[in-house]
Amino acid sequence: GNGEIVVNEANFVRKCIAAESSQDDLWGKLICTNFKISFITHNSIPQQKFQYVHHLLGEHDIPLACVDQVVTVNDAKGKQKVLGSNQKLKFNPTELILYCKDFRIVRFRFDEAGPESAKKVCLAIAHYSQPADPQLLFGFEFAQSRQYGSSGNIIERVNGVDPGGGCQTPLFDRPSDWDREIKRTGASEWRVCSINEGYTVSPSLPEYFVVPASMADLDLKQYACSYTGQRIPMWCWNHSNGSSLVRMSSICDVQQQRKLDQRVSSAITKSHPQRSEVLTSDLDKTLPSIQEVQAALIKLRQSCVIEPFEESEEKWLSSMENSRWTEYVRAFLRHAVEVVYMLEGKRVSVSLQEEEDRDLCCVVASLVQLMLDPHCRSLVGFQALVQKEWVMAGHRFLDRCNHLKKNDKEEAPLFLLFLDCVWQLMNQYPAAFEFTETYLTVLSDSMWIPVFSTFLFNCPQQRAEYSREFVHSKSIPLGNEQALKFPPVWDWSQQFTLKDQTLFNNPLYVGKGATCVQNGTVKTFRRTKQRNYSSTVRGVPSALKNGLRGDVDTLSRRNSLVARLRPDFSQAREVTETPCERFTREWFSRPTDLQGLLLPQLLPTHVTLWRLYFLRWVPEASISQGGAITAFHKLSLLADEIESLQNQLRQYNTSGGVGGTPASTPNPAHPEHGRMYFKCTPSPNRAASTPEYLSSSFPFSPVGNLCRRSILGTPLTKFLNGAKIWLSTETLANETV
Amino acid sequence: MEKSGSVDSLGSRQSSSRQPSVDSLSSSSTSRSDRSSQAKPASAMSSDSASTNELSPELRQSKLPAKLLRGLNSNEPQLLPKETVQDTAKDVTYICPFIGALRGTLTVTNYRLFFKCMDRDQSLALDIPLGVVSRVEKIGGTSSRGEVSYGVVCKDMRNLQFAHRQPDDTLKKSIFEVLMKYAYPISNSLAFFAYDYEQIFPENGWKVFDALAESKRQGLPNESWRISKVNDHYELCDSYPSTLVVPVTIPDEDLRRIAAFRAKGRIPVLSWIHPETQATVVRCSQPMVGVNSKRCKEDEKLLQAIMDANAQSHKLFIFDARPSVNATANKMKGGGYESEDAYQNAELVFLDIHNIHVMRESLRKLKEVVYPNIEESHWLSNLESTHWLEHIKVILAGALRIADKVESGKTSVVVHCSDGWDRTAQLTSLAMLMLDSHYRTIRGFEVLVEKEWVSFGHRFQMRIGHGDKNHTDADRSPVFLQFIDCVWQMIRQFPTAFEFNEYFLITILDHLYSCLFGTFMCNSEQQRLKEELPKKTLSLWSYINSQLEEFTNPFYVNYSSHVLFPVVSMRHLELWVGYYIRWNPRMRPQEPVHQRYKELLAKRSELQKRVEELRREVANKAASLTSERAGSPTRSITPVQTFV
Repeated sequence: GNGEIVVNEANFVRKCIAAESSQDDLWGKLICTNFKISFITHNSIPQQKFQYVHHLLGEHDIPLACVDQVVTVNDAKGKQKVLGSNQKLKFNPTELILYCKDFRIVRFRFDEAGPESAKKVCLAIAHYSQPADPQLLFGFEFAQSRQYGSSGNIIERVNGVDPGGGCQTPLFDRPSDWDREIKRTGASEWRVCSINEGYTVSPSLPEYFVVPASMADLDLKQYACSYTGQRIPMWCWNHSNGSSLVRMSSICDVQQQRKLDQRVSSAITKSHPQRSEVLTSDLDKTLPSIQEVQAALIKLRQSCVIEPFEESEEKWLSSMENSRWTEYVRAFLRHAVEVVYMLEGKRVSVSLQEEEDRDLCCVVASLVQLMLDPHCRSLVGFQALVQKEWVMAGHRFLDRCNHLKKNDKEEAPLFLLFLDCVWQLMNQYPAAFEFTETYLTVLSDSMWIPVFSTFLFNCPQQRAEYSREFVHSKSIPLGNEQALKFPPVWDWSQQFTLKDQTLFNNPLYVGKGATCVQNGTVKTFRRTKQRNYSSTVRGVPSALKNGLRGDVDTLSRRNSLVARLRPDFSQAREVTETPCERFTREWFSRPTDLQGLLLPQLLPTHVTLWRLYFLRWVPEASISQGGAITAFHKLSLLADEIESLQNQLRQYNTSGGVGGTPASTPNPAHPEHGRMYFKCTPSPNRAASTPEYLSSSFPFSPVGNLCRRSILGTPLTKFLNGAKIWLSTETLANETV
Repeated sequence: MEKSGSVDSLGSRQSSSRQPSVDSLSSSSTSRSDRSSQAKPASAMSSDSASTNELSPELRQSKLPAKLLRGLNSNEPQLLPKETVQDTAKDVTYICPFIGALRGTLTVTNYRLFFKCMDRDQSLALDIPLGVVSRVEKIGGTSSRGEVSYGVVCKDMRNLQFAHRQPDDTLKKSIFEVLMKYAYPISNSLAFFAYDYEQIFPENGWKVFDALAESKRQGLPNESWRISKVNDHYELCDSYPSTLVVPVTIPDEDLRRIAAFRAKGRIPVLSWIHPETQATVVRCSQPMVGVNSKRCKEDEKLLQAIMDANAQSHKLFIFDARPSVNATANKMKGGGYESEDAYQNAELVFLDIHNIHVMRESLRKLKEVVYPNIEESHWLSNLESTHWLEHIKVILAGALRIADKVESGKTSVVVHCSDGWDRTAQLTSLAMLMLDSHYRTIRGFEVLVEKEWVSFGHRFQMRIGHGDKNHTDADRSPVFLQFIDCVWQMIRQFPTAFEFNEYFLITILDHLYSCLFGTFMCNSEQQRLKEELPKKTLSLWSYINSQLEEFTNPFYVNYSSHVLFPVVSMRHLELWVGYYIRWNPRMRPQEPVHQRYKELLAKRSELQKRVEELRREVANKAASLTSERAGSPTRSITPVQTFV
């Protein structure tokens, strides 16, 4: 009853499980609906030890929006075809291979299925996975039935627990959310402006956003025409030292440029308590383009899942380098560090500038806040950050995800790149984030489930427009509701049970000093001052940690020595350091405060492949009973034990307060209420062992999700490897010329 | 009597017992001990990290006596017992590849090289055991200002460069000549410092490994395997241990004949037996078949007996560690491999591990790539070009195949290379680490190293070149380093399966070179006994076992009988940055989770205490209430305070 309808189906279909042999293959029915590709079987997957439950997707299901490429094969005739929408198929397929956007490769065989029904189901899948119209995206039917369906399950979460923070996550679609953010960050010289109500000024900005208090609405409206997409400068965040982070598009009206730059800068300066200057950071000039990022992902995917495992071993390291993916991850992180240096080290405001302000700005603005603001490292804070800097700021999720398969050139994994950057920070500071890498992975996968307001649209205005049109075309009586309500992805109970959502919780998280608003005054994070103080007390020379690095600054100040020696020792390296590098080095020389500023180590030795995300489907790469998850498991047990002890204490305390009536032996906390996925069981010998189902892919399973080997060495390999990859690299080559 | 920390000697020298080498404690006394211990190299060689500066003054005070404290800011190192300063030179310049030139004082003792920077704002110190020094050489001529430059190449992946003024008195030796004298005791007919070093440890590490006890742990001897005394006086094989486990059906006379057929007399003997299936890991050297395909029926009988001892399988796998080309080439020199004609039911597999020269060259390239700085834009392809990880992969893959045959195939295996003391040791010890969880404990790992490496005659002296100035010696090779690297790779893949941590491995490697302990000196058990190393030197395990907490992995979960099958793929293998690139100050170690785990442990015990207190209070209260109800208003039970 969620608006899903079956479009086509075929019986006696075989799903391939292992690459080497067909003996484990499963028999069942292949179904194409308007939402997903389903495989219904009564057999259970061999070797599968663990499967987390998804409310919207069964264990074999693939959402149509997740399908990247539909390939049909007739191996007897030696024919194959990449199926587009509304295409014809001149042969009866014996095999269907689905290349998925989440890196899975799923294969079905039709040896026993009726040739006609096999062909039909393939065509249906190809057609429905490439919808011509946004309203064909399942989210619309889903939202409609959710809202007006019989079940009325929309109220579901009202009285339920909300561990994923869905309800607490501000969506920034109303002035009060921005007001709270202003208060939280102490941005007293900034105000919420509502000139864009009804999207009358800029189609891609949210209805409400924040601007310098000194700027009048009238001026803003006037300035808007000179900016690309009418995107007047929009406030992102304030540092406790008063400097602020602002993002904007480029000024398209060249004649106005000087004047506008001046006015905007002076307004931002006025909003700074020390009237510090504003530095502009031009992202287009320093960061890779979205096409380059897309090309990197395609190469990375080629190495990770397309190329035969053993054959690609020898050149694995250089193929990682050639893909340039981690190089780009480092570039974005480095850029964010530079902005952090300006805000924190130089105490000046920074304005991020990008042609459209809808791609690179999203990545950099959110990374800067993740590094500077510990609130963003909490679950709710992170979700608010994505909501603020991506969804509301108008990142073109619809185009970048290429949900409509209309324009491959617009497809770009900017959000995945951002999540990878977050993972790098998380990997370097495992106790600094409230959430886990499983959370990041699941969040990324949610992009391919087209029901969430978060990832369905290019901007808030588009959401309003499309839902209005949908309501209109279906002549749905609107009643009190003004529009269709799409659930945000933050309402995690749409996808997972409460139990499975606990996989998002990091047992190591140090969250005690998180920022919060108390009585209207903002309690921000303690930082620099305290750290300087403590390092003085400790008598640790700032730059003397882990090795022989001395204080280069002092060295260059007293450079008489260096100057005197240099003629003799040409080998002595001249150490030149930018102020930002010095800022970073000095930060690294101090002990880390996980509730303060966090800077990533940017060396290629420290920025590595996000293995859980990129290798989770690769059976050969899965470490059975190993991987970081085993340490996570052990930590979770301890965290769970602490939690239940705290519960016991609480029970004692409350019962103790009731006039001395002795409490009965306190029950251990109800297991379903714990924060941890892995529970500390009372029996001591069981608690210690590592569950057999754990692997480096957990909670995902490579079984049946990556079938590529059987085509090895056939002419087919070349073709399948080629298809889209070939196309994209070709396009790219033309563009770089 | 053995030189050890027996209880009475401990009592008699109480004062010195807990403040051994200053450096040995420095690592344990920082507040952020986890990070620093990972960041810092092994305690006994606190190196560049200026470990003293990492200590906050308070902590320093609490751990170290005042006498030593005074030394902290001086130009002299804190000396170990019996360590004496040989020479000191002021106004020496250390040309640091990361900072530039630093002026300071250089001291050479009979154990270490110590450089203390004298610049006011620099508290840098270099503290390097002389054993690490591979080569010292003068670079260029005397400069216009009369200074001479010296390069010091180290075995632990770094190079140092110093410059100083030549002494005016031409008869006086330069400090670098003094350095060369003490860095190469072998070449200068001096004794290693290990013989002078005196320290009391609560445990005697020489007793960690006892061949009979280890056999007993494995359930040996049993009905199929016996312990032979044929090598009691190292007459059968001078590079083998005295205790050998062989099939009961093969008498000692046969063993003597087999010794003549196997290279260096290293006959097939048991290393490990599966507790359930009785499948065994057997090691030896290559058979001397030569170009004429010589045979030895006793050897064939022995291999048949090994197969028969395992009822589960009617096959035997012979793993030849070498590439088949190399194995074939060895026939020209009289060696070779088992032909399947001569050895019925045996299957021969080549594991393609390259020889010591290829490995040495690979490490040399690796050093070029990582020291002093890495090239950021081509890091991965540069790393790939060294083939270091590829060699690590091939070694691990070989061990994995062996472990898999024994565990999954329930088949006994025979492992050899040419002489059976390099690649064979790597393979058997790694396979045993995968198969037997006992070896994944700290003490178990010590046993594994003592057994498969030390007692079975890995030629440490020759491969490392302890105290020998001949740095170009073709016999040197990083064989043991590769083994430790492989162990580290396994720790990475199974973070909860090992009782020890990364710091334990780094400490072992540091003392592989330091020559402070006797553990890795000499080439064989026979030599060690002849040199009376257990009496005259200390064992590294004494040092390690006296501060186990430093080396313990807090995530350790006893997998008990679980076999580990690592994924041997470049997808998961990583360069051990914490070891190979630790001298680069930019290589800040990643924030360790261990510290946080310890905090959580502390929190748990605090909570447990409070819950226990409250439980008792409630119980008391209940008791007092019942007694009140029972009408006994005695003052025996004081009312409990309410919970706050």
